[in-house]
Amino acid sequence: MKKAFLSTGLLLITILILPLFISPFLVYLSTEILVFAIFAMSLGLIMGFGGMPSLGHCALFGLGAYTVAILSEYTANIYLLLGAAILISLCFSIVTGYIAIRNKGVFFLMITLAFTQVLFLITSRMKFWGGNDGYSASVTANFGFGEITSNMGLFYMMGFFFVLSYFLLKLFVNAPAGKVLKGMMENEGRMIALGYNPKTYKMIAYLIAGSMAGLAGGLYIYKTQFVSPALFSVHMGAEVMIMVFIGGLGTVFGPALGAGAFVFLQNYISTMTDRWPLILGLLFIAIVLLKRGGILHLIQFVTTFGLKLFKPSRSRNAPVDKQVKGKEQAS
Amino acid sequence: MTLLKIEDLNKSFKALHILKDVNIEIKKGERHVIIGPNGAGKTTLFNCIYGTLPLSSGKVYLAGDRIDHIPSFKRTEKGMGRTFQKNNLFEELTVEENVRLAIMGKKKYRLNMIKPMQNYTDLAAECRRLLEEWEMIDRRAVLVKELSYGEQRLLEIILSLSTNPEIILLDEPTSGMSPTETSRFVKLIKKIPESITLVIIEHDMEVVFSLANKITVLHHGTAMMTASPEEIRGNQMIQEIYFGGGALSHD
Repeated sequence: MKKAFLSTGLLLITILILPLFISPFLVYLSTEILVFAIFAMSLGLIMGFGGMPSLGHCALFGLGAYTVAILSEYTANIYLLLGAAILISLCFSIVTGYIAIRNKGVFFLMITLAFTQVLFLITSRMKFWGGNDGYSASVTANFGFGEITSNMGLFYMMGFFFVLSYFLLKLFVNAPAGKVLKGMMENEGRMIALGYNPKTYKMIAYLIAGSMAGLAGGLYIYKTQFVSPALFSVHMGAEVMIMVFIGGLGTVFGPALGAGAFVFLQNYISTMTDRWPLILGLLFIAIVLLKRGGILHLIQFVTTFGLKLFKPSRSRNAPVDKQVKGKEQAS
Repeated sequence: MTLLKIEDLNKSFKALHILKDVNIEIKKGERHVIIGPNGAGKTTLFNCIYGTLPLSSGKVYLAGDRIDHIPSFKRTEKGMGRTFQKNNLFEELTVEENVRLAIMGKKKYRLNMIKPMQNYTDLAAECRRLLEEWEMIDRRAVLVKELSYGEQRLLEIILSLSTNPEIILLDEPTSGMSPTETSRFVKLIKKIPESITLVIIEHDMEVVFSLANKITVLHHGTAMMTASPEEIRGNQMIQEIYFGGGALSHD
């Protein structure tokens, strides 16, 4: 609990003071990063803690985005709009999750992809809401204390939701339900033998991730003011999966870092060369070859390695202790 | 009192008939050992009793309630525990975390999504008590994958005990152990209180006769005979099919 509060506090402070140090363009870019960070963290929950690799997580993101875009014609109340986005994606998660969690691995991947493709086809045929060309909405965020129009305002708004999502996920993974979910991923047979129903826990995680992705989708509209069926494309689903991988699978914060790296590379390297996906691809291959570790694991590795360098005496003594103990036991 | 009753149990994989009309009654407090040559269907029988595999036909009763149609995790709730032939633990977690996860299976708060798991003091206390009882308390912070094989086997049993079972299915508890480890382990199994019924699959005859007070011989998927250890020892037919004749005559 203390750790969760501490890391959330640190994150909050970072978000608060970050705009003081970075250029206005970076603030603008970070707004997008924060939205994708929420999205990637939600996928990170079911992938890294539940062992459910979903290629269709973008369906929930897209549904949230479409919900806000379409409903903004009728109301400007942000609480209602975001609430609706969460509700719609939650309902969709209940239906798809009920079917999808019966499968594992590749089959789970394919089923989630199938649902997304259905949405892709429906939205690209929806002439009334733009069809293939997409649909523009003009939405302004207003939480009851003034309209948020500046980039800085948007940054703080996304930052708030990002920190909130992080905190909730952090609580979840340390609470009993989260630990059971992780155990389920590691050894489902044993968890069943201990009296846990695997479907309950997988479903809970799937619903949490689904509604969080819906929220991210809803927030996304406040930045882009535009939705299109591309949100439901395989491309989108794969991109967010790559974010999770390069950030660090099996951690809460890793996917957020991955989202940062991804959006950053996409925007910066694309100004230098058109071949930016190549660099991203190489990075992805390197991370997959190194197995399971993303940027966050790399940071952890470097810090533990650094600590070892500063405390050489301890590591040298350790094997000697063991030898002595072994001799004692032998005698 | 009959605790576990298996009635006309059949299990086949397509044309392959593994278990044929198996009838076994296990009384409360019994140490019931199931023996039989390789391929006799012992582990399949366990999987059928526990619900890992669906039955082809037949009935299974636990304390009078029919349980063959309910999912495995509900059988655990009803008081049935099991261990696995191969170690089946959470290797990336510590001993303590394994046991806590196991104890939590019967707690109401297992669905809590906010309060951190280490803040439940009753869980910690119960875990400590169990580890002290089984002399694993010194190893509580060790990752399971770093434990010795014997310790992992013991943890298997601790995990199945921590769900408060009335009956435990032990699938070859001493498999892969050295003779010294085995005899130490048999002593530990004897420590399990009489209130918990044990059904054991075992190959090692010394272990069988030191633990069992009832033995069922499974041969080609049929329960040939259920009898006391003395009767099994004296039965000529059983000796021939299972022990290859006269194997136990030196006893």
